[in-house]
Amino acid sequence: MSSTIAKLGVPPVQKSNSLSSRIDVVVPTPTVNSSPQKRADFTTLVESLEYAAQGETGYNFYDSRGNLKSVLAYKDLCANSKIIARRLSGLGLARNSRVALIADTTPEFIELFFACRFAGLVPFAMPVPVNLGSRAIYVQQLRGMLESSKASVAVANLDFVEFLNEAVGSLVSSELKWSGTPEQLDLLPEADVVFSPNTPDETAYLQFTSGSTRLPRGVVITERALMTNLRGIVCNGLDVRLGDRCASWLPFYHDMGLVGLVLAPLAAQLSVDYLATRDFAVRPLQWLKLISRNRCTIAFSQPFGLKLCTLRARESDLADLDLSCWRAAGVGAEMIRMDTLKSFAAKFAAAGFDERAFLPCYGLAESTLAVSFPDISRGARSLRVDARTLIEKKIAVRVQAEGRKYNEFVNCGRPLPGHEVRIVDDTDHEVPHMTVGSILVRGGSVMNGYFNNAEETARAIRPDGWLDTGDIGFLFEDDLYITGRRTDVIIVNGRNIRAQDVEELAEQQPEVRAREASAFGISNEDGSTSVVLVVECRLASAVDRQSLINRLQQMVYMAFGVSCLVELVPPHTLPRTSSGKLSRFAARQGFLRRANLEQPTAATTIHTAG
Amino acid sequence: MSEVTQEQITALLCQRLANFTEIETEVSPETNLITHLAIDSVKLLNLVMEIEDQFDISVPLNTLVDVLTVQDLANLIYKIKSLSQ
Repeated sequence: MSSTIAKLGVPPVQKSNSLSSRIDVVVPTPTVNSSPQKRADFTTLVESLEYAAQGETGYNFYDSRGNLKSVLAYKDLCANSKIIARRLSGLGLARNSRVALIADTTPEFIELFFACRFAGLVPFAMPVPVNLGSRAIYVQQLRGMLESSKASVAVANLDFVEFLNEAVGSLVSSELKWSGTPEQLDLLPEADVVFSPNTPDETAYLQFTSGSTRLPRGVVITERALMTNLRGIVCNGLDVRLGDRCASWLPFYHDMGLVGLVLAPLAAQLSVDYLATRDFAVRPLQWLKLISRNRCTIAFSQPFGLKLCTLRARESDLADLDLSCWRAAGVGAEMIRMDTLKSFAAKFAAAGFDERAFLPCYGLAESTLAVSFPDISRGARSLRVDARTLIEKKIAVRVQAEGRKYNEFVNCGRPLPGHEVRIVDDTDHEVPHMTVGSILVRGGSVMNGYFNNAEETARAIRPDGWLDTGDIGFLFEDDLYITGRRTDVIIVNGRNIRAQDVEELAEQQPEVRAREASAFGISNEDGSTSVVLVVECRLASAVDRQSLINRLQQMVYMAFGVSCLVELVPPHTLPRTSSGKLSRFAARQGFLRRANLEQPTAATTIHTAG
Repeated sequence: MSEVTQEQITALLCQRLANFTEIETEVSPETNLITHLAIDSVKLLNLVMEIEDQFDISVPLNTLVDVLTVQDLANLIYKIKSLSQ
């Protein structure tokens, strides 16, 4: 551990004109705290913050060149968010009203988030725009979330407030009482209120699950579910200890970023060093430099982030890095491929990275964040199973002989205490170990449902409390292995894209009729995923057809930031179920057949052993 | 680099982008980055990094939402470049 950081105890100098204590002479918060560590042993989020505020640790924000930009110690966060809570209280909102926050990686977002909890309001994070030419679709996305959440307040910083205003202006019927920037919010008077304590059954926040444009779904997470999951992450998954320090580039609007790397560190009073997602994406090595320089021990990433690091690191970069401090390299949020982990470890072993730090885990926003963790400090373990038996019989058989085609799946460990995982077949019957089926989860971290959406809630949660994760996998020696997602979600570069959203975009084109477009993902040879859109098309002219293809590609790109393969097929080509619904699974099979591509149903690449 | 004109930025971008994609294509100011060059998110970030290093500027993400063509991108860089001086 770095002694310079451990010894830092300089009292922060407050800027006179700012509510938040952005410090003039900035020094990061220390790794070693002045008060004893309590590991997520709290009943509510604000209780966790009140305790953390007794110490010296907190959040640090770095710019794209790795310079410390601002510091938000937990004690300042606590004080500042109470002031903001009093301003929000002055708006006279009903308890549990929703507050929409565009979640850039800034101290203001965290202050507002906690201000909501002090004031008994329910915050939720909205994404920042990232794609070329995406203005119209981004604004539509914001509007969808404001409508679906029936938000009363919406806040965006100066960079994004024009998008927010545009979205707010387009709301048809609205419960919105106030919208603006954090600076404008600071001009509101503070109400003289005594905060009522939060209770475990109250909603802590909403988490929107995908960039869905028309019908975004807000996961309802209670204080109890949140604290249950935080305890699981802190005590069981990470086994947090003295000397731990976190680094993160994960977006605050993503469940892994928010729950895993904002709320969990706070619940264990750990300091965190943040790099904005955009800055990481442009210069991924800054994240590793931060870990190295500040001797961070815990840092999570999607596989995609690890790939970016591996891709961009030059030999000369490695000499300056010492990653031997990194004891928990969490990996999650999308399918984990062993190759990705191996290449990362091979590249950064020279910089002291220990592959036993890998912690591949499984989770989803519908279960707050984490579902299962493997044992800490054992590294990633995997299982090679026969590809043919997997496709034909849905059974995972370990490859014995050389030369057999296999799929390799990463061990995602066991469920957190108080949680159960179960694998079922299409008729909802539990299947034996090694048989592939739908993954169900039950336990204290599972959501109450989707906000104001009984239909989707009923589809996701069974009457007996089992959550259908939508993912597919198997159990082996009680460890969970994920083999794929169902066909309704396409994951590209760590982003979840709902197939339905892609299809709806296509159907907005005048040439495309309703239910004549089908979207799904296919695996490329390098393990990446491509979005494919098959559209039934009556156009005869080559020019018109090309124009439609271009337009579809552009729209998909603007909405989701991915390139997309568009195939135009004659009417009645797409397979339908007996009820007339399109079958994406069958559409995908048809496309692969036409394109002459061989792929397993599990959406992973086949390797050849030996 | 301080006296760079909008035309120079456009020309430089056309030249860089021609090497940037696998597609054999003539890049002009009107070229659409998405449909013609198939710039995906990884390529976009590479491009942003190169632009930032080349012109010594920082391109805020929120400004890219209005960029569709090479010309749009050139205008944006020119604007950021002149504001930063």
